[in-house]
Amino acid sequence: MSFIDRSTKALLLTELVSGLALTFKYMFRKKVTINYPYEKGPLSPRFRGEHALRRYPNGEERCIACKLCEAICPALAITIEAEPREDGSRRTTRYDIDMTKCIYCGFCQEACPVDAIVEGPNYEFATETREELFYDKDKLLANGDRWEKQIAANLAADAPYR
Amino acid sequence: MPTLTIDGQEITVEPGTTLLQACEEAGSEIPRFCYHERLSIAGNCRMCLVEMEKSPKPVASCAMPAADGMVIHTNTESVKKAREGVMEFLLINHPLDCPICDQGGECDLQDQAMAYGRDSSRFAENKRAVEGKDFGPLIKTFMTRCIHCTRCVRFMEEVAGAPDLGGLYRGEDMEIATVLEKGLDSELSGNIIDLCPVGALTSQPYAFNARSWELRFTESVDVLDAAGSNIRVDARGRQVMRVLPRLNEDVNEEWLGDKSRFAYDGLLRQRLDRPYLRDANGKLQPASWEQAFAAIADRAKGMDGRRFGAIAGDLVDCESMTALKDLTDALGSPHIDCRQDGAKLNASQRASYLFNTTIAGIEDADTCLLIGTNPRWEAPVINQRIRKRWLMGGFAIGVIGEQRELTYRADYLGAGPATLAEIADGQHAFGNVLEAAERPMLILGMGALAREDGDAVLGAASKIAERYGFIGDDWNGFNVLHTAAARVGGLDLGLVPGDGGLDTAGMVAAAGRGELDMLYLLGADEIDMSALGQCFVIYQGHHGDAGAHRADVILPGAAYTEKSATYVNTEGRAQRGRLAVFPPGDAREDWTIVRALSAVLGHALPYDTLDAVRARMTSLSPHMIERNQIARAAWELIEGQGRLDGPAFATPIANYYMTDPISRASETMADCTASFVSRPEALTGTDA
Amino acid sequence: MVGFWDGYVWPGVVILAQILLIVVPLLVAVAYLTYAERKVIGAIHLRKGPNVVGPLGLLQPIADGLKLLVKETILPARANIGVFVLAPIITFTLSFIAWAVIPFDEGWVLADINVGVLYLFAVSSLGVYGVLMAGWASNSRYAFLGALRSAAQMVSYEVSIGFVIVTVLICAGSLNLSEIVMAQKDLWFFIPLFPMFVIFLISALAETNRSPFDLPEDESALVAGYFVEYSSMLFALFYLGEYAAMILMSGMTVILFLGGWLPPFDIAPFTWVPGIIWFGLKIALVLFVFLWARATFPRYRYDQLMRLGWKVFLPFSLFWVAVTAGAVVAFDWYPS
Repeated sequence: MSFIDRSTKALLLTELVSGLALTFKYMFRKKVTINYPYEKGPLSPRFRGEHALRRYPNGEERCIACKLCEAICPALAITIEAEPREDGSRRTTRYDIDMTKCIYCGFCQEACPVDAIVEGPNYEFATETREELFYDKDKLLANGDRWEKQIAANLAADAPYR
Repeated sequence: MPTLTIDGQEITVEPGTTLLQACEEAGSEIPRFCYHERLSIAGNCRMCLVEMEKSPKPVASCAMPAADGMVIHTNTESVKKAREGVMEFLLINHPLDCPICDQGGECDLQDQAMAYGRDSSRFAENKRAVEGKDFGPLIKTFMTRCIHCTRCVRFMEEVAGAPDLGGLYRGEDMEIATVLEKGLDSELSGNIIDLCPVGALTSQPYAFNARSWELRFTESVDVLDAAGSNIRVDARGRQVMRVLPRLNEDVNEEWLGDKSRFAYDGLLRQRLDRPYLRDANGKLQPASWEQAFAAIADRAKGMDGRRFGAIAGDLVDCESMTALKDLTDALGSPHIDCRQDGAKLNASQRASYLFNTTIAGIEDADTCLLIGTNPRWEAPVINQRIRKRWLMGGFAIGVIGEQRELTYRADYLGAGPATLAEIADGQHAFGNVLEAAERPMLILGMGALAREDGDAVLGAASKIAERYGFIGDDWNGFNVLHTAAARVGGLDLGLVPGDGGLDTAGMVAAAGRGELDMLYLLGADEIDMSALGQCFVIYQGHHGDAGAHRADVILPGAAYTEKSATYVNTEGRAQRGRLAVFPPGDAREDWTIVRALSAVLGHALPYDTLDAVRARMTSLSPHMIERNQIARAAWELIEGQGRLDGPAFATPIANYYMTDPISRASETMADCTASFVSRPEALTGTDA
Repeated sequence: MVGFWDGYVWPGVVILAQILLIVVPLLVAVAYLTYAERKVIGAIHLRKGPNVVGPLGLLQPIADGLKLLVKETILPARANIGVFVLAPIITFTLSFIAWAVIPFDEGWVLADINVGVLYLFAVSSLGVYGVLMAGWASNSRYAFLGALRSAAQMVSYEVSIGFVIVTVLICAGSLNLSEIVMAQKDLWFFIPLFPMFVIFLISALAETNRSPFDLPEDESALVAGYFVEYSSMLFALFYLGEYAAMILMSGMTVILFLGGWLPPFDIAPFTWVPGIIWFGLKIALVLFVFLWARATFPRYRYDQLMRLGWKVFLPFSLFWVAVTAGAVVAFDWYPS
């Protein structure tokens, strides 16, 4: 029986027809495309976009040069150099992220004990040259200043689940 | 021999063994903070608690001697609970600042908290905060982190012999502090950084610079004194970040002198990273290797080989000295010397320039005579051994020379040659002590040998050795304590004047008189550069020190962390350092420079690889074949020459912290000099 | 002189005008076929498809064409340049000259020859040469493999297409395309010859290298197949040729099975619509099936493709030729 069954199915192209029927049905479904530069999809508070170095509300940079992010970075994208600042506190003299190496895994922000390095909500940071993607400390701090409001809101939104 | 059961395993240990050591032997690791093999037992951290059957409470294994029939459990629930309790108490006042703590990543407390710590604190009260202390320019303190294990206190008191630290106040208010408010001026103070199980004591120069996991560890040998301490060079990228001691029971145990530990920042400053040539105006101008070699070849054209002289400095490795000697021989010059301080050392008899007793052998001696030496500054790790022997008791120590603060009680016998002669002739009271001793030893320092009548001093010391039974079948109590890491290697390789050759002083004088056309300074900076006259000076070395300032051609070489090289310490122990970082800029490993220059001068040396130069080296000195081994040198009476009539012996090192181009370039060492040496009380302190 | 003007020039001009009248709308149709393809597949994927260039993205094909036009033509250093350039020209030309015999409406045909079917068959068979030349001249192993696949595939499926056409000829009794259409006045052939219609459609997919038979340009295995080395206008010629061939095959399907320009019902409102509109609508319908199939089916494996061609379609179409011929003879259904 199964032979007859199979032959009939093959001869009558039932599987092909049902496939065609399915795709035909899908043709009239609602489109999921959004009109990107004008409309944007929703972002999770956990979205891992462009990096930023945050500051405390009093303007003091958070990063304490513990180098945990550098150690955990699986792509070896982070380079840190540190020495005592004039007031004796531990601070970085260099904090570089090679955005061309970064794989946006978010381990750096997980490793950070003071929430200094974060992956913010910005994903529109394409550049025209490669060099612009070698971020230094100034660039990262500027990112932090620029996105602080959203980053803080995102962290607050995600806090209950941590 | 007590036999006890540890975790179901029966084990027999030496009497006097502690439970902790017995557990280690049985293969059960016991966590500890205060216990340290080389320090006395304090028993105050309570981390090493184990369960002993028939004992109502857990016992501190570090302080409990092993006894027959004990039944010990190290991994039961109650042991774990007890340790967790101890850990919780330790963490009550320990700040959670691991991210900014330099100990992070190599911290005993951190590691053990992973095993015995709770995930969160139950301590809601305020944590204790303690002010940082000023321990000088080497040690950074964060006393809030201190867990009062008192390792540092015990080390300073027992090993360093400088009881500067102590515990002030009691209970929660206890603080570790200097008794007098001054920095730790002991030359072994850096070791308390290694001992500290937490981040309370960290290295000041290394502060916040690197993390342990970023560093590349290279095993090497220290060259800043002649003891040949085993070190580990920790580097990141092309920079040496710190230097730590490496365990070698026969040399430095696990200690390291402060100069050897902290002078590494000198490796970054005043480096010669490219060849230089002195131009017509007398200014040194950067040049290429070709130009530098061409200038030398130009000058050497038609030069009589006997008008060439070579002096090897104090930090030079054996490979480059081999090449230098072969080059000098090839040029036909007998003028070569490795004793730039003019020490009257006799290269023909090996026993006359070695530390024959060996460093570990000090512990077997029963009397010691120090002649013209301050081992505390010349070789802190050897001084530490003497103190270790002294602490065991029954160790008489006599000093001839300058009266210096030592870390043990010593009888001051006299200032100079006269006293030495008296003892040699058996007219001094200390002779009776030596007579009574079974294993006497003497240490002859450079302060007694690097002088006009050094030959006579050597003869007199030799005479003492013969007279008082310093030499036995299995004992040789005649010791020379060198100050230069290259010295024994140079003497082994025969870098001494040949027939009719001039020694260092002779070469300097001859150069000043215009009798030498060319002088090759291989890392030699300690000679009188102003006396060299019009002589064409080639300086090969790694720092822009005295030699480089006088030089007509500078050939940039590698410092000890930047080459694979062999050094022979004062005992005659050949040890090998390895390349930790590459030399800066155009600088090259030293033997390759000599080899390259030899080709330019038309006397190409017959070796092109490190293995080949080492084969040549070991053929010159077979002692260098076996590394980290000491071959006993045959003893022979040394006949003193000349009269023993010089002035009082002066200590050869004026400032422990600055003895060579590397430490002179180091800012840390400059800070130490300012803090510890230039202070008036440091200069006058004596208690001998 | 009168003979010259009337006998050669004016007919020439007229033919030229007729050719332009066919080719220009055809090119526009090709351009908008690419647009339709992206829109249809987009819709099936729940996407929007091109919608940025011009209203509803209608200018997208123009933009694409311009882009291809201004791009640099890359001639591979070790290619056989002459053949390399000739190949796309041949492909392009072949897919357009076939249109000479296609009747768009009653009497609307450039060359109403009596062997129109044979001509079409011959021209579409020649298409393989362009592909082979491209693959060989590129001096690239991907292109070469693609060309080999394409040649074998086109040859295989032409066989069954041939037999399918034979059945149609048996029913129509003529090789003239207009007469084949008129033979369907009462009953379109896709009803009596439904299995043949299906085989023809599937073979048409294979013949035009369309998905799921697009193995010659199999991008996951061969990068782009025979035109991997092509760029700019040479590439565009291939592209145009391929899409024109698609339209041609659709036209053949319509003529052979769907009654050409004939309205579906021979009654009032349907007959008002001009034949050419019906013809166009039917072609569009078949083209839609092409696109629809592409969005639905995954690509065949090469051995499956060969098996289908030789072991299924060939015996089946042979059998159906016999059945049709037998029926015509047995029931005396000879076409008039």
